[in-house]
Amino acid sequence: MDGNEAQIEVRGLRKRFGAVTALDGMSFTVEPGQVTGFVGPNGAGKSTTMRILLGLDRAEEGSALIGGRPYRELRNPLLAVGALLDAAAVHPARRGRDHLLWLAHSHRLPARRVDEVIEQTGLGPAARRRAGGYSLGMRQRLGIAAALLGDPPVLLFDEPVNGLDPEGIRWMRGLLRSLAAQGRAVLVSSHLMSELEGTADHLVVIGRGRVLADTSVRELLAGASGDRVEVRTGEPDRDRAMTVLADAGATVAATGRGTLTVSGLDAQRVVALLGGAGVAFSGVAAHRATLEEAYMELTREAAEFAAGPSGPSGPSGPSGPASGEDRR
Amino acid sequence: MTLPETRDRDRDRDRDRDRAGAGPASPPAARDGFPQLLHAEWTKLRTVPRWGLTLLGGIALTVLISFFSAAGSSVEIADQDRPPVPAGREGQQLVDSVGFAHRALHGDGSITARVSGPAGVEPEQAPEWAKAGLLIRESLTPGADYAALMVTAGHGVRMQSEFARDVPGSAAASPDTPHWLRLTRTGSTVTGYESADGEEWSEVGTVRLADAPEELSVGLFVGSPDITRMERAFGNVTVGQLGSSATADFDEVSIEGGVTARDWRHTDIGGVSPSAGDPGEFRRSGSVFTLTGSGDIGPAPTDTDLAATALNGSQLGLVLIAAVGVLFITAEYRRGMIRTTFTAGPRRGRVLAAKAVVIGAVAFAAGLVAALVSFLLAMPVLRDNGHVPPMFPELALGDAAVLRAVLGTGLLLALIAVLALGLGALTRSTAVSITAVVVVFVLPLILVSTLPLELSQWLQRLTPMAGFAVQQTLPRYGHVERLCLPENACYPQGPWTGLTTLLLYTAAVLALAAWRLRKRDA
Repeated sequence: MDGNEAQIEVRGLRKRFGAVTALDGMSFTVEPGQVTGFVGPNGAGKSTTMRILLGLDRAEEGSALIGGRPYRELRNPLLAVGALLDAAAVHPARRGRDHLLWLAHSHRLPARRVDEVIEQTGLGPAARRRAGGYSLGMRQRLGIAAALLGDPPVLLFDEPVNGLDPEGIRWMRGLLRSLAAQGRAVLVSSHLMSELEGTADHLVVIGRGRVLADTSVRELLAGASGDRVEVRTGEPDRDRAMTVLADAGATVAATGRGTLTVSGLDAQRVVALLGGAGVAFSGVAAHRATLEEAYMELTREAAEFAAGPSGPSGPSGPSGPASGEDRR
Repeated sequence: MTLPETRDRDRDRDRDRDRAGAGPASPPAARDGFPQLLHAEWTKLRTVPRWGLTLLGGIALTVLISFFSAAGSSVEIADQDRPPVPAGREGQQLVDSVGFAHRALHGDGSITARVSGPAGVEPEQAPEWAKAGLLIRESLTPGADYAALMVTAGHGVRMQSEFARDVPGSAAASPDTPHWLRLTRTGSTVTGYESADGEEWSEVGTVRLADAPEELSVGLFVGSPDITRMERAFGNVTVGQLGSSATADFDEVSIEGGVTARDWRHTDIGGVSPSAGDPGEFRRSGSVFTLTGSGDIGPAPTDTDLAATALNGSQLGLVLIAAVGVLFITAEYRRGMIRTTFTAGPRRGRVLAAKAVVIGAVAFAAGLVAALVSFLLAMPVLRDNGHVPPMFPELALGDAAVLRAVLGTGLLLALIAVLALGLGALTRSTAVSITAVVVVFVLPLILVSTLPLELSQWLQRLTPMAGFAVQQTLPRYGHVERLCLPENACYPQGPWTGLTTLLLYTAAVLALAAWRLRKRDA
């Protein structure tokens, strides 16, 4: 068996829709055995990338390979990749089971396999009802069942938890984790980092059609939280503490009465420096950034970078990650 | 990359693939997978109940409209006093009335003459199919078997028999220069010869007379078919038949063989033609015979195509069947399901082809059922309303022409459904596609009865509605002028020519749709 068939490789994708650049050199790989979060604000290019991976859209440049092959060259694509793009993409008059059945027939899969995925996704008796009457959660489950039908080594889910109730979200997380544990490559997109917290092992953060960060969750958190240490100190010692820490190369900000926010040094070093200089302090706390904060930081930088030269009327201050997209 | 804990899954997967016959190691034959696509599309079609209901509705609409138009039909025969129309062997209506100067011939023999004509009787011009020449008949009764060799006003030399048979001779022969003709009888076989100079003869054709008696009538004849005058404005058609006469001179007349009576007799076969009014004329001046006559020997086709009438509900039933063809793809665009379809089958041209095969087969079946039921229900009603032989010949489902019309209706609806599918794939819009189907198929059917005839016939020839020509069952004769009106579901072209026109449109739209599908993002 091909060693890397459970791998997604995206290299230098470029695509424009009219005057709008949707993808601007998108490159990343998705490895098997882990859940890769594909995060970015709305319009960052997540769905476009996924559509190109599935051979639905054409890129102007670059390649999108699944197990080393472009999608359109796959012999039996549903056995190689399972995808959930849009849960609403079902004919409302067709029963859920029949929807899975035509997909199965397109790949000569037996009807037994249809019943297996119905069970696996907990669709149960709803599979015999018309899809038009499904709740959003039911539709998501039907979409997942369709993706799992061919038992593929690669899975793509576009915003799978969108609209799910808390129970559904919990189920989805468990499913994503178990699929990865089975050695599959799982790519899950979301515009909310919080949705991926605790699910994703690896993150591809994108903005404006390019990759901003391609990193493990742990590294991303470390990179963000390692920057900030909060020091509580009395009024007279604050100025001395600032001097000492700034001399050691840190960026120090007085953020409140008796509070300093230090970036560029870790907490241990701060304690050692202040102790050595004889500055009194009442507490030193390493600020643990959430994934959301780390992500906001990344996307804010991207937005600022983009807004600078190209946005004549754009706000000069830092803009939220979403505002850059809203202008499209 | 291999992960130890995924081994079992991998094995399962391999088994699945083997079962699917399409693992990486499987032969490339599995790659095509067109039968799978067909199976998938068939599953899609049959699992949306409202599409099945719409198809049934298309069948029901076709049958109902066919039935009611048959129930609303009536026959009016203007001229009740006409003598009974002669009928051919299969009960078809015939014309058998020409001016005939004849003698009796016993056994084998031949007749030769030089013909000048036919010419119109001043001031009228002779119609194209006015004819003058030699005739051998079994009797003088209308409908009798015959062999005729003639010069026509506009179509050269012809040899005709059995009312329907017409064999061309030299096309160069014209009524203005004398032309030699000869008929030879041997047993029941009659052979026709022609010559420009009376010396070099060439064969035109042979005719076998069924159970020919010993004594036959041989002689000279002149005919000139009625001219059809038509006034047509906004759905109102007035058709009038106008008699015409022609005249011709014959010289160098000789009969060889067992001629009993020495005298020539003149008979207007079938009596004096009511439309011509005047009896024919026969004059001899020395060796020159001059004969004036009207009428024709040949089939008398009716204008009303009973089978086409019995099937005309398909003109509206097609809308519902085409709607399913459109929805078969636009419903997928509407919901974004087309992406699922194209992820399951990334080769979009093949997916479209599979859809076309499935919807085409289903529409064919629906059309066939609709046509069969329509024909079987509407025919007795038409009979009850006075459409009886000989004016309207007997039609049975087993007749070749009827089978062609019924099967052709299935093919017609199949092609329309596939064309509708192609339109749906091109426009991605249900409303636009169905409107297009109505504009292309239903609107012309209304328009052709109001537009000038010439324009209507071009519409019939060139637009996709040409496919309806396949429902025609009336025989076509090249040697008889016939009024072909769109109101009577008559198409200027033949049945298969019309269906081929539609086929070309369907193929073009489908090819364009496949090309667009491949080029555009889904």
